[in-house]
Amino acid sequence: MLVDFELIKRAQAGDSAAFNEVVLAYRKRTLGTIARLISRPEDVEDVAQEVFLRLYFSLDQLRTAEVFEPWLYRLTVNAAYDYLRKHRRRMESRMSDLSEQQVMLADAVAGGRVDHEVRQQRQVRETVDALLSAVSEADRILLTLKEVEGLSLKELEKIYRVNENALKVRLFRARQRVLKALGETGSESRGKGTAKAEI
Amino acid sequence: MSIYSNKRGNQDAELNALFHSYRAACPDPEPSAHFMPEIWRRIEERQRSLFFLGRWARAFVTAAAVLSLGMAAYLYIPLEGNTVFSAESYVEAVAAGHAVDSAEFVDSSLE
Repeated sequence: MLVDFELIKRAQAGDSAAFNEVVLAYRKRTLGTIARLISRPEDVEDVAQEVFLRLYFSLDQLRTAEVFEPWLYRLTVNAAYDYLRKHRRRMESRMSDLSEQQVMLADAVAGGRVDHEVRQQRQVRETVDALLSAVSEADRILLTLKEVEGLSLKELEKIYRVNENALKVRLFRARQRVLKALGETGSESRGKGTAKAEI
Repeated sequence: MSIYSNKRGNQDAELNALFHSYRAACPDPEPSAHFMPEIWRRIEERQRSLFFLGRWARAFVTAAAVLSLGMAAYLYIPLEGNTVFSAESYVEAVAAGHAVDSAEFVDSSLE
């Protein structure tokens, strides 16, 4: 835990400075989680502010210290889910266009416009975003928390308040869909590559 | 079968590597300078709207209570007035209603 429970208690009692400290301690981690959950850098701060706003108005419901972090994660997940549902993200890089984008990116690199590392990171982001678009918003969030954020099943159990087996089933199904999308992307790229070679 | 499982295993490993790289490709962003002021602005805005909502709710409850009392009083007062009539029996009420008719009958007998 990044802050002690006394600080949270003070924030609960209406101490603005204490609440400020809690936000300062958790804001970077929360921003990072949201950035990876919604994949829209321009809206990350807005969603994070919504999380801390919800935290402020529900802080009095918190009873014990150990539930604070799962609870903050829960607020983060809910805010991210609300955002994704509202915006119904339509991936700019659709699965079928993925290899074309990669070709364009390769052209940009050949022209010396994009740095190698930046290009690779961008490619990874676009590929994972496109793969995650194969599952629902809720499953995308669950999968990201498990696979990218590295949360354990026990932690996810506390956040989602469902039993471990139900989570395992959801995660397995979501992962299978993503794997299927990965397989399709691979075969499409290979197909296009063969066609280009034939031409 | 082994080719299939081998392919599946490769894809699993590829996906794990992708997720791992994704974490590195999306580092925690730095908050902007107006992050904290914006939070407090939102909190104050929400508090204001909650305050007005609370006032409106209290006013509504008070108005509803006054209206209920008014309606209760309105219903109670006519009932109080009607107790005089309800004390009469049906026959008495009919007799009182035919007082004019009997006067006509008396007039015709005089002729």
